[in-house]
Amino acid sequence: MSAPMRDAAPARLPSERFRLELGGIGALTLLGLALVAVGPLLLDRYSVNILIRSFLYGSIAVTVDILWGFTGVLSFGQSAFFAIGAYACGLAFSHLDFTPLVAVAALGGGVVVAGLVAALIAWLAFGTGVSPLYISVVTLVLSIVFVQVIYAGGDFTGSSSGLSGFDTFDLSNEAWFRIAGVALVLVTLLGWIFVRSDAGRLLVSIRENEQRCRYFGISTSWVKGALLVVSAVVAALAGYAYAAYTDVVAPDLGDFQFGTMLVIWVALGGRGTLIGPAIIAVLIDFVSAWLSGSLPFVWQLVVGAVFIVVIVIMPQGLGPALAGLVRRLLPRVSRIQPTAARLAEAPTYDIETHMQMGHAPAAVEITGVARSYGSLHVLEDISFTGRRGELVSLVGPNGAGKTTLIRCISDGQERTRGRIAIQGREVGRMPPERCVRLGLGRKFQTPNVFDALTVAESLRVSRSRLERLSPWRRADEIHLPEAAMQVARATGLVAQLGTTVRHLSHGAKQALELAMVLAMEPSVLLLDEPTAGLTKPERTLIGGILVDLVAKHGLCILLIEHDLEFVREISSRIIVLHQGRIVLDGSVEEVVTSELVRTIYTGEPQAIGEPAAAGPGSDG
Amino acid sequence: MADAALQIEHLTSGYGEAMVLRDITLSLQQGEVLAVLGKNGMGKSTLLKTIMGFLPPHGGTIRIHGTPTTGLSPHRLAARSVAYSPQDQAIFQDLSVEENLRLGLRSDRGFAPALDRVAGFFPFLAKRRRQAAGTLSGGEQKMLIMARALLSRPRLMLVDEISEGLQPSVILRMAEVMRSELSGSQLSILLIEQNVQFALSVAQRYAVLTRGEIVDTGLIAQPGVEARIHDHLAV
Repeated sequence: MSAPMRDAAPARLPSERFRLELGGIGALTLLGLALVAVGPLLLDRYSVNILIRSFLYGSIAVTVDILWGFTGVLSFGQSAFFAIGAYACGLAFSHLDFTPLVAVAALGGGVVVAGLVAALIAWLAFGTGVSPLYISVVTLVLSIVFVQVIYAGGDFTGSSSGLSGFDTFDLSNEAWFRIAGVALVLVTLLGWIFVRSDAGRLLVSIRENEQRCRYFGISTSWVKGALLVVSAVVAALAGYAYAAYTDVVAPDLGDFQFGTMLVIWVALGGRGTLIGPAIIAVLIDFVSAWLSGSLPFVWQLVVGAVFIVVIVIMPQGLGPALAGLVRRLLPRVSRIQPTAARLAEAPTYDIETHMQMGHAPAAVEITGVARSYGSLHVLEDISFTGRRGELVSLVGPNGAGKTTLIRCISDGQERTRGRIAIQGREVGRMPPERCVRLGLGRKFQTPNVFDALTVAESLRVSRSRLERLSPWRRADEIHLPEAAMQVARATGLVAQLGTTVRHLSHGAKQALELAMVLAMEPSVLLLDEPTAGLTKPERTLIGGILVDLVAKHGLCILLIEHDLEFVREISSRIIVLHQGRIVLDGSVEEVVTSELVRTIYTGEPQAIGEPAAAGPGSDG
Repeated sequence: MADAALQIEHLTSGYGEAMVLRDITLSLQQGEVLAVLGKNGMGKSTLLKTIMGFLPPHGGTIRIHGTPTTGLSPHRLAARSVAYSPQDQAIFQDLSVEENLRLGLRSDRGFAPALDRVAGFFPFLAKRRRQAAGTLSGGEQKMLIMARALLSRPRLMLVDEISEGLQPSVILRMAEVMRSELSGSQLSILLIEQNVQFALSVAQRYAVLTRGEIVDTGLIAQPGVEARIHDHLAV
């Protein structure tokens, strides 16, 4: 449901909010740097020693939070990347003389190996049709394999006792403390800026609804893979520093216990808060080290008990709890005001420029398409052509296979047989994100949106293929083509730009998804019940907008709709699907007055609820 | 006189600080169907969620068959013969049609005759009882939700936009099913609808919700009601 009160509050511009927050984080950064500067002067030698390690762990915890908290990629393998960096250092300095050249080469080698391994993992785990759990399993296996490789390395890797006593950098503990401390502050700051930028919102939208992202033409596996590689590189750098400082490397640096520990730290610190996990990682590692010295037998019990208490008192973790505290102490400063970008008209969207005139191919050409699940035939021998400037409505009983047909057109891997061409180009076995790049836009049957984003952010993400998302800024203006703008206006979305999508009504979510799909400027538009849940006047308005798109911009629209009156008003042609086959393809009058349609669709009660083809029909 | 099936007084509800419903007072008599109409985002679904205990009300009281239920959790309401069919496709995707239906009853005793009864409404349910419910089409899932809600012979049903995505003939069937369940039983229905025609064909009274308040209410039998409602829904 919408929140009427929110509508009234004037929304801040994203850049204003960003600057405001940047002020806050800037102050924290300076505080962090100051602490790092004076730390060695105030702390005893033992604490300084421990904190160097804790800071390095803190940096890795930040990468785990970006992967898991923001993007939803739960990796247990950051420990392995950390250890790869550490072993690059240990191996190089043990087997070669320590020279500046070797030091640099080892650093480069560690980073490259970690990056390559991460790329390999990404290729394995982010393929199409792979469950999101797979990355967790693969990274868990990675850490186990890593330890086995080290064990198998004999004298070369030092096997289970590791390597130690190699020549290394001649730096004081104070210097290492400052290097590790500054690195932690910088990693956190850069991470913070990135996750709050427009590109950072993309990570959240992948976490929230990866399918919708792919149907915006975003190659989510590529984004997640790139993120994993960067995180691996950061972890490897931290590992290199760790080995160079401690002068010891051992297999347990890369084991899954440490990998799991990092995940637990992030959970305790608060997923998706960055600063929480960084603080918790430093705190827990430091306190554990201190406790293990003074209470060697029970320290793990103490730490475990603290974990449980923290989770009970702060179920969201430390970060959100701290934010809540700040809000209570400084209610005026920290009052969260709604933030929303302005909408602006995009440069006129003219489909003619997208293709060569004259010998323009058909918008959609479908030849002999079939879809079966085992012996169940949901679609059989579907052939038709959708031309530019045509609004084709697909009607038919519930379960006739309409949604399945839309799915076959938008995802090359769906159909069992047949050919589909979009704008004259064969779809083949393309995944949805590549079909979208042929000019396709798809709106799902039930609203498919990003619950955690605001309306404005959702619209921004939907435009990401046309306008690059900045990794360090937030744009104040969202450019929308006329049609998307009209939908936003007609359905009142313009007044709710700062509202979190979770709080929208069902109908408003439908409208938002439609606006997002139109914002992609598709030339072939697949709409599965676009106006379900909207009121009659809203439907009429949207019908008008669709008719306009077809007439003015030459789009081809395929539309599933049950309201025959609505269909009659807007369609240029109607295709009737029944039991997985096209039973009628003709003009509006032909279909609406046909006896067949009356029997299978509108009237005759005995036909109801007995569609023979059991069509898997909803994408949820 | 018997207690009203549902009596709501001065109900205020919303999410966090944002109030979505303000001072709602309405009642639903036994055996009656009340259609709540309104544009999007006016608080219709929030009303049902609050009655069903998914949202804690900020103020006001709710009574069902005379007993106060304000603040009771959903499962306690379900135990009092209140059935809720939400707007989003609330089925268990990986369970079969039959398993989904079975969950609508508190005990397995009486499942077979109950299944026969609802299969009488929607014959495809019996034919495809082993099929995974997630592979039903969108409209078929809606019929499954309705069947599941009716299975337990509830005394109060809260129905959120059941007609969405249904073919015209199935909408007619839904109306028929509701009418036949209402006649001779103690069932009352609070119906939220976007499809005015359908709502008017089953309800006796209507209420229009605008910006979280009831702005109009009356008997459907009055002349000119349809035009009046369309005026409220106009942009």
